[in-house]
Amino acid sequence: MKRVALLAAAVTLYVVAAWMVAPGFYDGFGPPAPYNWTCPPAQAGANTKPGSGHTDFKVVGGVSDAGSAYDRDGQIVIGFLPGALDGAGKTTIGVDVTPLATCPQPPGIQFVTNVYQITGAASIVKAANLVLRYSNLEPAPADVYFASDPAGPWKGLGIAQQAQPFTVVTSTKSFGYFAAGYLSASPPPGAVKVGGGSQTLPIIVAVLIVLVVLSGIPLAILRRRQSHGQVEEEGDV
Amino acid sequence: MRPISGFSDCAPRSRMHDAFAPLLVASPGSGRPGSPNLSSRFSAASLVLQRTHPAARVALVGAYALCVEWARVSIQAQPGLAIAALVMGGIALGAVAFGTPAERLGLGRSRIGLRIVGGLALGAVLLLPAAARSGAVPLLPVGLAFAAIAVSIGEELAFRGALYAALDELGGAPLAIAGSTVVWTAAHVLSHPPAFLGAVAAAGLLLALWRWACRDLVAPIIGHVIADLAL
Repeated sequence: MKRVALLAAAVTLYVVAAWMVAPGFYDGFGPPAPYNWTCPPAQAGANTKPGSGHTDFKVVGGVSDAGSAYDRDGQIVIGFLPGALDGAGKTTIGVDVTPLATCPQPPGIQFVTNVYQITGAASIVKAANLVLRYSNLEPAPADVYFASDPAGPWKGLGIAQQAQPFTVVTSTKSFGYFAAGYLSASPPPGAVKVGGGSQTLPIIVAVLIVLVVLSGIPLAILRRRQSHGQVEEEGDV
Repeated sequence: MRPISGFSDCAPRSRMHDAFAPLLVASPGSGRPGSPNLSSRFSAASLVLQRTHPAARVALVGAYALCVEWARVSIQAQPGLAIAALVMGGIALGAVAFGTPAERLGLGRSRIGLRIVGGLALGAVLLLPAAARSGAVPLLPVGLAFAAIAVSIGEELAFRGALYAALDELGGAPLAIAGSTVVWTAAHVLSHPPAFLGAVAAAGLLLALWRWACRDLVAPIIGHVIADLAL
């Protein structure tokens, strides 16, 4: 009885502790930090608004330095090779990364990240590498989308092979607006479909509970019978 | 007379069968004398581990598990190494149980039905907070799902298996429960944001209490696998 009570207390403690954080404390499969949302999904729990970032790239002899520009939260990083920015007549080139204050949802596309605006004081002349991190609370994106205006049109840039879990990588030759997502008409790619914004997870848990109850009853009866049998055998002796 | 209530004694030592014994108990050296193969070397190492003082064994197993977990997290942050790091980390963690008798790990076939049901129940409990909040979407990429299984089994064998057994021998059940929970939480410091560690510790405590109450590791393994696949 003491053991059952302790287990019940541990279950209660766990449920309370787990309730206080966003779902998804995995064994290190997820992002290193919770995603900071512009428009947090309902299950996100406590949310910190995403931040922006600014980086200056030196220009020597008309050639811009290599380097990366990123937001405060490390949710989007754009990397430049030497000479990737048009440095003619400049000594430095500033690049700004800013999360869009609104959350556009263009028809047919479901974004799973914030929309970020990347601007630069010079144009891109060599393709820049773009890495976006996404949350474990949303389906994995199938593409990175780009637009020169948040109202659209949005076009897919394609994604390179996934480098790390919960990141997508692409390349761009233009500054503008970027977000990762998938075509809303198609199912989320590359994921074990356990949830997906539907009620699948609660159903799975309910099925597990029913399985436990249905399996537990006959097992308990069997055990009780075996126990009675042993008592009778002991009584016979 | 044996108790008949619930899971309070679902795997008594007297009736424990070594379901996993062929996998876990050191096999006789199959290599030729003078040229020991990897298995026999591993068996010798595990034999030495088993014969060390309980306190030294706790320190060795705990430090080893922590090092493996932290190394895994560091390696899996490198591009393209995530799945390999997870799988190898799981195997390395599971290896610490090599040589420990199955009954001391809580592995056995007796009342296997109850153990499996217990695992499903633990899985349901671990998923409950996410499931209760509608729209919680646990999505694990397919490649990571297989790695998740390896890590789940490895972690249970290391923390609630070998480490728990060593702590139990050193200071009894209270030390085993508290100690395995503390080391388990410390092992997740690098892979989890600080805000998550309370929930991680609570999950570790629940699994350790189950290990103690039922003398069973099968259910924690099943529950952990289910939770990792979904969370």
